[in-house]
Amino acid sequence: MKVAEKGCAICQATWGDYWEEIEGQRMFFCCDICAIEFKNMVNEVKKRTGWKTLDEIKMTGNYRGRECMALYGGRRYNFSIRFDSKGGIDAFSEHA
Amino acid sequence: MGFQKHDDFDDLAGHFVAEAGRSDAGHVMWLNRNITKNKSDRKTLAKLLAGFFDLGGYSLESWVKRRFIEKFYGKSPHPFVLALQHPSRATLLGYVVEHQHFLRQWVRSCSYIMARTDEMDVVLYELDNINTEYGGVGTGQPSHYELLLSMGESLGLDRKEVFRMAPLADTREAIRVWDSICRDDHWVEAMAAMHGLELIANRKLKGEGASIGYFDPVILKNEEISEEAKAFLREGYEADVGHSEQALSLVEKYSRLYGNMDDVQATFLRSIDYFDRYLMARLERSRQFESS
Repeated sequence: MKVAEKGCAICQATWGDYWEEIEGQRMFFCCDICAIEFKNMVNEVKKRTGWKTLDEIKMTGNYRGRECMALYGGRRYNFSIRFDSKGGIDAFSEHA
Repeated sequence: MGFQKHDDFDDLAGHFVAEAGRSDAGHVMWLNRNITKNKSDRKTLAKLLAGFFDLGGYSLESWVKRRFIEKFYGKSPHPFVLALQHPSRATLLGYVVEHQHFLRQWVRSCSYIMARTDEMDVVLYELDNINTEYGGVGTGQPSHYELLLSMGESLGLDRKEVFRMAPLADTREAIRVWDSICRDDHWVEAMAAMHGLELIANRKLKGEGASIGYFDPVILKNEEISEEAKAFLREGYEADVGHSEQALSLVEKYSRLYGNMDDVQATFLRSIDYFDRYLMARLERSRQFESS
């Protein structure tokens, strides 16, 4: 799975030193909350699309809310997401 | 966050670098959202922190307002404020259920401040604030608390039901922090922590850089919300300019006298972080009413 070249896979921050294996890949996060957010986001997209895994999630925005595009095998899935203070999904909506 | 040594940004930076090194979420998120997302050495971070806390030749009140606007009314306004522009019934009910807990802590917080100060202008300010928020004056001038419960009833939620609902985790945690600040920290810090929050409904912020107001004032004039909801929102709209600005002026006066302005700033920042989470809890609660 392709993630940001530099920094945390969710927020691109370079602070911290937290690593976790997600979708068979060791990923860098600035903190455990961002790791939880990322796992929850990947699982939610897999659940809603029925995809086995993801190639990439492109993201814009910030902690108030992110506009995202998930990619897998040439297919696209657009959504917006916001997390709660513990990394759970607070709001999720699909876009055409 | 807080200062171990007054105005020692090198010491504070050392603390942040150490906490970020062990990926502590609270410290890392605070740095990401307020200072920089780029990992920096202690010396560089000390300069950035000093800049963040610097009043820039303006008053403490201006600094507090600037930081508050950045967080709640900046380029990405708080999601609860966005929902309150033209609120649904569910948004208002989420507000009612969580805010009753907030207001019950509020009177405790103000009482702690009164109990711990000898300054008469502060005591008089807190007495007036408690009356407006919690006591009211007879039936002609109901308190903010009573107006809140009436708003809930106008939307079909009985106050007995409201009293039965325990606070959500983020509300409970925020209340615990405010209680601890008001009980254990200096009363000037407590004043900044609590009354700084009243900026949320200060309609003057829009003229001072806020991208939007607490709600679209047109809802006080049209038929979108109940008369009781209008009465509740209008009261805050009218009272909180005075409440927040009078308090911040007292905070400025006494923080200069006691020489604890940096502690006041740090405690205010801590308070607005928990306020952010508390406002999210209002939205979380509102989802319980979306299908009802």
